[in-house]
Amino acid sequence: MLHVENLKVRYGAITAVHDVSLEVKEGELVALIGVNGAGKTTTLSAIAGVVKTVSGSIYFEGQSIVGKSPEAILKLGVAVVPEQRDIFPSLTVEENLHMGAFSRHNHREYLADLKETFILFPILEERFQQLGGTLSGGEQQQLAIARSIMAHPKLLVLDEPSLGLAPKIVDQIFSLIVTLRTRGSTILLVEQNVNRTLDIADRVYLINNGRVEIQGTPDQLRSQGAIKDIYLGK
Amino acid sequence: MKKANLTHWFSSYSTIIILTVPMLIMAGLTDLFAGSLLIRIVTALFVSMVVVLGMQVFMGNSGILAWAHVGFMGIGAYISSICSMTPTTKEIAIPQIYPFLLNLHFSFIPSLLVGALVAVVIAAIISYPLMRLSDTTAAISSFALLIIINTVLIHWDKVTNGPRTLFGIEELTTVWTAVFSAILILIFAYLFKESSLGLKLRASRDDYHAAQAMGINITQVRYYSFVIGAGIASFGGGLFAHYITSFTPSAFYMAETFNILTMLVVGGTMGVSGAVIGTIVVTFAREGLRAVENFINLNHVLPFDVVGLTEVLLATALILILIFRPEGILGGREFRWMPKKSAKKKIEEPASVQVNE
Amino acid sequence: MITFGFLINAISLGSLYALISLGLVMIYGVLKMVNFAYGELIMVGGYGLYLVGSKFNLPWIFVAAAAILAAMLVSYLTELVAFRHVREKSLTALLITSFAVSTLLQNGALLIISPRAKAVSLPKIFSSSITFLGITTPARNILTIAITILLLLGLSLLLRRTMLGIALRAASDNFRMTRMLGIPANLVISSAFIISGAIAGVVSLFWVGRTASVTPSIGQGPLLIAFIAIVVGGISSLEGAVVGGFVYGILFSFIGVLLPQTLLDYREAFMFVIVILILLWRPEGLIRVKYAEERVG
Repeated sequence: MLHVENLKVRYGAITAVHDVSLEVKEGELVALIGVNGAGKTTTLSAIAGVVKTVSGSIYFEGQSIVGKSPEAILKLGVAVVPEQRDIFPSLTVEENLHMGAFSRHNHREYLADLKETFILFPILEERFQQLGGTLSGGEQQQLAIARSIMAHPKLLVLDEPSLGLAPKIVDQIFSLIVTLRTRGSTILLVEQNVNRTLDIADRVYLINNGRVEIQGTPDQLRSQGAIKDIYLGK
Repeated sequence: MKKANLTHWFSSYSTIIILTVPMLIMAGLTDLFAGSLLIRIVTALFVSMVVVLGMQVFMGNSGILAWAHVGFMGIGAYISSICSMTPTTKEIAIPQIYPFLLNLHFSFIPSLLVGALVAVVIAAIISYPLMRLSDTTAAISSFALLIIINTVLIHWDKVTNGPRTLFGIEELTTVWTAVFSAILILIFAYLFKESSLGLKLRASRDDYHAAQAMGINITQVRYYSFVIGAGIASFGGGLFAHYITSFTPSAFYMAETFNILTMLVVGGTMGVSGAVIGTIVVTFAREGLRAVENFINLNHVLPFDVVGLTEVLLATALILILIFRPEGILGGREFRWMPKKSAKKKIEEPASVQVNE
Repeated sequence: MITFGFLINAISLGSLYALISLGLVMIYGVLKMVNFAYGELIMVGGYGLYLVGSKFNLPWIFVAAAAILAAMLVSYLTELVAFRHVREKSLTALLITSFAVSTLLQNGALLIISPRAKAVSLPKIFSSSITFLGITTPARNILTIAITILLLLGLSLLLRRTMLGIALRAASDNFRMTRMLGIPANLVISSAFIISGAIAGVVSLFWVGRTASVTPSIGQGPLLIAFIAIVVGGISSLEGAVVGGFVYGILFSFIGVLLPQTLLDYREAFMFVIVILILLWRPEGLIRVKYAEERVG
């Protein structure tokens, strides 16, 4: 479904991603792990079309998406929930969700999706008329994910959804990801919470210094002990 | 080892020679062969170059728009004129002048320096807090400063003769004083850019947060360069006053800001070479267009008068530059002598690092 | 003398200033750029009144509509031809572009029309006065207040009830994220320019209505007013712009009455000193938004 090959991204003189190749197949939950500054978020930004790539290719369903605008990439079916969540603080929860459905312009479907959303995210129904900026971190994260789902993406990309949240809320978010996965969503997940991620992912890529260091199933990664090396600095 | 150092030293200062020699030749040829009109144009060119270089010192290195720059040019024009005019001329030109200003009388160069000094003092007093502001607020406040200076120039009858024309200034700026001033400021601007202060300022332009993390006091380096830029603008204003000999406060407002800004942006804000090339290109383009405009109007080529054509075309050119070559003709590079390569004159890539925020 | 008539005058001026600032802040919201060419949109509206009014024998209401349309069209064209292509470059590049567009439009008017002021014919309502509750006031004042209220209501409906309006507000919050949700950047920005142009067009009716003539530099005054007002009110929200406009208009009227004649000449400089002081004290303006914002990058 998603093929990234030899991706290279640079901010001025600083190369954030040297050489990343990865693949996500339909129905999979693929995880990208690695320390801060390893190049995970930059990789996602390149997929979302918000940073320019230097070289390498990104294919989604056989179509190259390098150089396409963020809105065109979303239309093709890739929705990215960014690290800072980026909900619209001065819009109500309702308006935030409405914006998620912008690309679909069909009011009846929107209402149906809304019902669905409230089952998955009951808190959003409670907060429906509240401003996004007044929600707690966990609620904002749920809103951000719900908003992206409103676009019915074929591939949902989550950038560190557990970042800065209380442990209890992190549990909620991870079980939510599992729920989405069992409902058939294809997910690319970036996380720093390695153990939790290995528990739920189908396949994992470990990124270090802008390169894919190791890839494989969670069991393979666990048995290699490589993760410890990277995280504890050998 | 020693020889390598010497060539390196020569290479890094070659920019100054590569730029100044043609300027001197241009001034010499103009003085020897040109008619009075061309002498006027070339003199005006070097006067503008001083102001553009002053703008480059602040805006080019800091990346912040300096709207108030031309306001300081106005301050320099007025102060230096008051200094250089004889008391009898002043009594006629500025009837309401303060008595203590009436009796001031300096020769040309000291007058220019007093003008620059006054601008430096004013800038030093008011600009520090402004340098803390960022992006939009910085742009609005420096624009507000231009308007404040203009309003004061228009209404302070006892110093400026108000909105009326100030006349009777001696024509002391020759093509030679202009070119030597421009060269002096050019050397200064180049050394400033390469100095540690200039380097810090450029670092803050290229990556604000990284510069901050390196311990650079950004407000302070911006402040110093703003004050220096204001001094240069004011010096240029003094040269302008003694070239044009009569003017009103409106000479130092939007139209001149557009003019100076166009010169700098067309050449490329990030380099001294860009400021020089931009000034030359835009001056000749503007004079050429103005000649066409005058020809059309004098010979009644069209059934109506053409006014504003020059500015329309220059503004269009400026927009096109910003779209297709936002870094200007030279893109921030400097002319440089590279002895090791076969090519004699090479353009060097800027050493700066650019990071998007 | 502060009378009821004076108050109506002050409120009317405040309404006009609120409208002026609203048009400027519409574009600021999405591009995070103060548009130096905004004043020229008001000029375009003024010339629309002059050209359509003098060439065609139409009822004034159609002339006014044509003027508003002209301002909208020119606003859209500046975005299409210039701003769209500079948008992703630096803020400084954007600001210089808007300054160049301003120069271009002003000199374009010099070139195509005339450097001299052109008289604009206005309907009777602009010169008549009305009396109610025992107070006589120019009808223009009441009209300004009424139109401002209507326009604010309309705009608020547009921004709260339509998909496009919500998208505009979302883009003011976080432009990049709106794009990542599939909302086309060009659509949002063009709409902001067209709305800004429409407001400028309405403003031009009243601004030109004060002197009944139009010159190429007529937009400079309103631009400076909007600058002051958005700084006073806070640049990051539409509400702030409206409040800032009202406060400034009313303050300006009072300064006119209270300041001694000798200092009146400095009124403009005085206002800008206040602007700088406010910026230093509260860089986000008097009305603060609770959330951080970022520029289109």
